[in-house]
Amino acid sequence: MIQFLNLLINGITEGLVVALPALAMTLVMGVNRFPNAATGDFMTTGAFMAVGAQLLGVQSLVLATFLAALITAMLSAASYELIFKKLARQPMIASLLAAIGLGFLLRSVISFFAGHDQRTFNVPLVRAWNFDGIRILPTDLAIAGAALGCLAVVFILLYRTSFGRQLRAVSDNPDLARASGIRARKLMIGLWLLVGVLSAIGGVLLGMKAVVMPELGWDHLIPAFAAMVLGGIGSPVGAVIGALLMSVAQELSVPLLGPSYKLVLSFGVLALVLMVRPAGLMGRVDLIR
Amino acid sequence: MTAYLQAIGIVSLIYALLALGLNLQFGLTRLVNFGVVAFFAIGAYTSALLALAGVPLLLSFAAATVLAGISALPLGLLSLRLREDYLAIVTLGFSEAVRITLQQEEWLTKGVQGLPGIPKVFASLGPAGSDTALFFILVAATALVAWGTLRLTRSPLGRLLRAIGDDEPALMALGKNPTKFKVQIFMVGAALSGLAGAFYAHFITFISPEQFLPLVTFYVWMGLIMGGSGSVRGALGGAVLLMIFLEGSRFIKDFIPGVSEVQMASVRLAVVGLALILVTMYRPNGLFGKTTT
Repeated sequence: MIQFLNLLINGITEGLVVALPALAMTLVMGVNRFPNAATGDFMTTGAFMAVGAQLLGVQSLVLATFLAALITAMLSAASYELIFKKLARQPMIASLLAAIGLGFLLRSVISFFAGHDQRTFNVPLVRAWNFDGIRILPTDLAIAGAALGCLAVVFILLYRTSFGRQLRAVSDNPDLARASGIRARKLMIGLWLLVGVLSAIGGVLLGMKAVVMPELGWDHLIPAFAAMVLGGIGSPVGAVIGALLMSVAQELSVPLLGPSYKLVLSFGVLALVLMVRPAGLMGRVDLIR
Repeated sequence: MTAYLQAIGIVSLIYALLALGLNLQFGLTRLVNFGVVAFFAIGAYTSALLALAGVPLLLSFAAATVLAGISALPLGLLSLRLREDYLAIVTLGFSEAVRITLQQEEWLTKGVQGLPGIPKVFASLGPAGSDTALFFILVAATALVAWGTLRLTRSPLGRLLRAIGDDEPALMALGKNPTKFKVQIFMVGAALSGLAGAFYAHFITFISPEQFLPLVTFYVWMGLIMGGSGSVRGALGGAVLLMIFLEGSRFIKDFIPGVSEVQMASVRLAVVGLALILVTMYRPNGLFGKTTT
């Protein structure tokens, strides 16, 4: 029972973090209509930028994360302007292949300069609180809090601002949105900046939970994609719920299957959802078939 | 020197088989398989494990081909219900799942330690003779597959397959049912990857899970789209380009001082990444294809 609760807590923390890239992917999927396979490597970029900022003397992790998010956001927006915008009229596979290529490129630059050593953030080490066997790490609490705060900001952005309304309009019906006079260009730049910020923060938080290495983001690409599909493509709320369910399921599977099979489990969930209910929990089937 | 050229030839031909398999799936039928390396790995491990258990190589090769093909059936059936990009991510996930399973199930695969001492083909001919024999078998196999693909492309079935890639709804409106052919082609392509895996295992004689990273899949993709997907010439030319790149990068390393092998791996990854971006943007029909965009 206590082990179950510990795994559950761990799963919820991880789920809140994975929700960030899953949200970034689902937004791009809804608007640009391709799975942004570079999301994982945007996360890695963010994590390494934050590690770099700390090495260069930015002591505060919050400030380092802010700088990392800024740089990753600009990189993400530039990649849209230079690559994905130009491929928008091509078949989807073109954007997808280019996204894979972009991910490889980012990872190669990182591993060329930073090597393959595992790195950690400069955070104060704190002992876990122990409530009769239920262990809660203050760091994990901070991670979950940061992820929750981030999600709250994004949802306010999506559902309470003009930017969010326009974005959802384009996602629902691009032609109608264009006919209504929504300017795509500024909206797209805004979307891709947001994608960069979400991915970078997700990367830093994942790096805080474990270690930072060049495969950090790539290894979370399949789980994030599975979370997005489980929640329902194009649905922001679905992405968060999907990420939570997926991560809790992954954690709970650890005593049975061992930690290495987490990714296999997320693949299994992905295949199962696509087979049984491709619309996911709250998505639209037209984006899938 | 001849031995070196022969080794390069063998690896090129193995990549050519992989590219021909992918060409059937993507080039002809537009099935986006990002899990090429999974079927390659299944073929390599199947044949290696059977051969190490004493099964004659002819049978182990056959088993590798068949098993890789059959393992593609569930994915092929799933692909019928999905848009192309979903199949891409699902197959990518499948290849990672296969690799992790190979890593974890140590009772069968010895895990990360890998399988050493995989027997060579015609081992009685000695190491050099064995490689020569393997080379000629591969030439024959590749030629056969290339010929078969050409025959297929020009047959009524081939026209049907191309029509699936071009405009599936129109095809269905004409009363053709493309689904069966899609699954079959997906399985045949996977079986070819499995065969390539068997050749690879018995040439290298040592396999381990880390040889089957997703990067291998995208090597094949890079080769195929650079050569021009959809044609046998493109697949074969792409395999040659890929080999020039992979071997060339080993040579270049000797001329650039201060670059370690690990960093060279990063450079190789960067080139693959850039190639995928630039070719899809500026040469969607391959380096030698028409530049209509």
